[in-house]
Amino acid sequence: MTTHEQGQAKRSGADWLLFVVGFVLFSALGFWGTPALLYAEKPQPFQFSHKVHMEQVSEGCKSCHSFREDGSFTGIPSTDKCKECHSDSPQGNTPQEKTFVEEYLNKGKPVDWQVYSKQPACVFFSHAAHAENAGLECKKCHGDHGDSEKLRTYQQNRLTGYSRDIWGWSILGMGDPPKRMKMDNCADCHRANGVRDACFVCHK
Amino acid sequence: MNWDRRAFVKFAVGAVVGLHASPLVPKLMDDSAIWTQNWNWVPNPEDGALAFANTVNPATGTGVKVCVIAGRLKGERLIRVEGNPEHPTSKGGVVPADASALQNLYYDDFRVKTPLILDQRTGMHVEASWEQALDLVAGKLAELHKAGQAHTVAALGTEAKTLDGELLSRFMAAYGSPNTSFNVSAADTLAMAGWAMTGDENLGFDLLGANYVISFGTPLLEGFGSPVAVRKAFAAWRKDFKRTGTLVQVEPRASVTASQADQWLACKPGTEGAVALGLCQVLIQEGLYDRSIAGAALGFEDGDKGMGFKTLLAKNYSPGQVAQISGVPVETLITVAKAFAKEPKAVAVCGPGNGGEPGRLLDFMAVLALNALKGNLGKPGGLVARQPLGLKPLGEATAYRGDKPRLDGLGTAKRPLGASDHLSLAKGALAGAPYKVNLALVAGGNPAYASPQAGVVRDFLKSVPFVVAITPYLDESSSMAQVVLPCGTFLESWGDSLTPYGGAVSEYGLHKPLIKAYDMVKSQGDVILALAAKLGGAVAQALPFAGAEAALKARTAGLGELAKLAKKSYVVQEKPAYGNLSFKTPSGKLEFFSMNLHNLAVKLTGEGGMGKVLKAMGVTAEGSAALMPHYEPPAALARAGHGRLVLAAVSSLRTPRGDQPITPYMIKVLDGDTLANNDQLVVEMNPQTAHDLHLYEGDLVKVTSTAGSTEARVHLFAGAAPGMVFMPVGLGHYASQNAYTYRRGGNYNQVAEATADPLSGLPTWGLTPVAVSKA
Repeated sequence: MTTHEQGQAKRSGADWLLFVVGFVLFSALGFWGTPALLYAEKPQPFQFSHKVHMEQVSEGCKSCHSFREDGSFTGIPSTDKCKECHSDSPQGNTPQEKTFVEEYLNKGKPVDWQVYSKQPACVFFSHAAHAENAGLECKKCHGDHGDSEKLRTYQQNRLTGYSRDIWGWSILGMGDPPKRMKMDNCADCHRANGVRDACFVCHK
Repeated sequence: MNWDRRAFVKFAVGAVVGLHASPLVPKLMDDSAIWTQNWNWVPNPEDGALAFANTVNPATGTGVKVCVIAGRLKGERLIRVEGNPEHPTSKGGVVPADASALQNLYYDDFRVKTPLILDQRTGMHVEASWEQALDLVAGKLAELHKAGQAHTVAALGTEAKTLDGELLSRFMAAYGSPNTSFNVSAADTLAMAGWAMTGDENLGFDLLGANYVISFGTPLLEGFGSPVAVRKAFAAWRKDFKRTGTLVQVEPRASVTASQADQWLACKPGTEGAVALGLCQVLIQEGLYDRSIAGAALGFEDGDKGMGFKTLLAKNYSPGQVAQISGVPVETLITVAKAFAKEPKAVAVCGPGNGGEPGRLLDFMAVLALNALKGNLGKPGGLVARQPLGLKPLGEATAYRGDKPRLDGLGTAKRPLGASDHLSLAKGALAGAPYKVNLALVAGGNPAYASPQAGVVRDFLKSVPFVVAITPYLDESSSMAQVVLPCGTFLESWGDSLTPYGGAVSEYGLHKPLIKAYDMVKSQGDVILALAAKLGGAVAQALPFAGAEAALKARTAGLGELAKLAKKSYVVQEKPAYGNLSFKTPSGKLEFFSMNLHNLAVKLTGEGGMGKVLKAMGVTAEGSAALMPHYEPPAALARAGHGRLVLAAVSSLRTPRGDQPITPYMIKVLDGDTLANNDQLVVEMNPQTAHDLHLYEGDLVKVTSTAGSTEARVHLFAGAAPGMVFMPVGLGHYASQNAYTYRRGGNYNQVAEATADPLSGLPTWGLTPVAVSKA
């Protein structure tokens, strides 16, 4: 047996352990580091309880997130919409409502909410087609947001500027709406329901 | 185990493989792709709060004047135009020209973004500063003024009574020129007819209140007054698929209005007025007319002025005679007249022609007479007088004080009535008698394309040594200008609009800058005022405003605070002013024999020479009939026949009439019956007429008149009257800066020939004798 052969025999098993260590260490780093590197936490202007509001209104989500007569969706309600119930002095005694009334309502300033479900500008999405015509519940894509007592942490992708909710909270990109709202989720649902999934259906 | 090179390599390979097994790489790749979509030059609208701002689209001459829109602001860019549901007459509706208004606003190649000065050596426009451009124009004006040639400056505006029109008129009068012309419209004719018979120039049709409407050749559903308001009224007559209102259309072509109407009276071309007189006669012979006002009117019975209207009708317009003239059967005339008399809320409507022409004054008078006999004056669903808006004048009245005659002949014995118009001005200037024009100021419009007999106006502008255009667009007129001054569209400038044609309630629309699309764009009023300030002297004194906003503030002082008005953007009277009309005629009564017209003629020549004056005005009827509603066969028809067809226009809400350029969207929604193969004009002909000329569907033909010619494809249409050829309006632009409209079809205004309307003297271009031959 030559010296070289002796060396080979002596080191083979233990050396491969180093490969495994490198693999495990760096894949763990990737799993942990990717979200830490990519996402920044952004505060909401003030806290908001959907639950409290849902108890006060009669038509559920549509009471505030309504459709216009022409079928277009109003999205985040304007401060004018809030004024339909709120007056220029707070109704409750939470500091959040005080901030809202003083900083936004009385100044007629729109609230600069961080929107969890905001899609890129190149996506055309009709709420009327989904919620009215197809009869999908808001929950299907937005989860139990409407029952939440407070707004959860908003994370923004540093590179794209969009909410983490779009890719989904699983860094592997697993799951279906409401856990994830990427294009493949839209396409899967369209295919499953026999709706066209051609590019121009959403990208006009 | 040794930490040597081999061990390190194994660890490093493990690390790399491990990293790739993590989501880092695929996630970064996905995000990088999305990141590229957000590079700052990618045209995404900026993020921002949503807001809605009210404004009114004045779109002069396009028939979308009062459509109220809400422009949704997103950042500094308008992204959509919608109807304003709170506006009392348009109620949230829009027409294609409103919905696609942003296309021209953001069409960079077509917009004038900075002042431009023509480089004489290269023949190209070069960018200049406002200071340079204004100095050049003011310098030329001052030079001509100094040389005693101020009267050789002509201004071609759009609408006389708007803020921009008033500023232009004051500017020209103070500067010292009588030559200011504007677009003419049916509003001018209706004002004259109202003045002649009732003494009131502000008459309107209460369409919303009516449930029986007879429209005499007007494009009621294709651009009449405020098209949205008229369509809303029409929708109310058809609510829930129940017919609560009846529409009768009198017209030679199965137009959109005719096909939507309950009854279509297919008359011969130009005989709509005769049909109205025929209906008048049926009302009288059946005893179905209003005796209290019409029966007591001046000139109803025979009297000292001669034969009365009643006798005139019996003599010349019996149903049989009218059937002969118009081709509408006697029984139909009688049935329609009886139904019209029976309905409590019925109105007869006259208005613009399909080509946007102002209509024939005598026809309008016949329609007013029909309404008067029906007894609907001042009644709900009838003919009403609008209350004045209460706008303040911009200062002391300023009129031209010099002694030079006007180039358009207005105010002379040949043309005592009427309004100034571009064509007459251009004809006068081209004839050079008594003088030629040295400087032309085109303010706001595009007369080289949109004026009747556009070729004449284009030749006129070509002949003028110095042309200045104040315009938002690089169109046919501005491309001929030595200096182009950029002004904003209604979305980026101050301005106003008045009651649309035939409106039952007075309306005032105000538009303000919602955004600044281009840095150097100003309001048209600001440009005129800046020129006035540069000139100084009497001109600056007549226009002592810091800007268009200040001028609007003075003008609307009676309507409340400008800021509030600008936010709301309109003032509309709540409901029509019902109640008996107070006749402001010399007799104080309704007048079938118009004393106003009589006095005007007498003033010009004395009682003896009146016949001569009326002949010069194109009236062939003699005696008292000449000053009463009667039928004069259109001059164009006399030259038709003998192989010549009669050309008439086809109007549509997809093809604008007048100055407003057609938008890319409007072009896109045109079908093959208007624009074949995307770029060829289509003319409609009756199959029998085509057969006689050996023409088939799709044949390429040349349509030629004395004014000009164009090529078109033939479309056979049984709804077209025999002996006629129908051509769409609003196409055939030839300014190459607008790639969407360039050479798409031919221009109706290029082929249509304008003749002076009897009595009113206004140019009318609804009917033109043409030769149609295979191209």
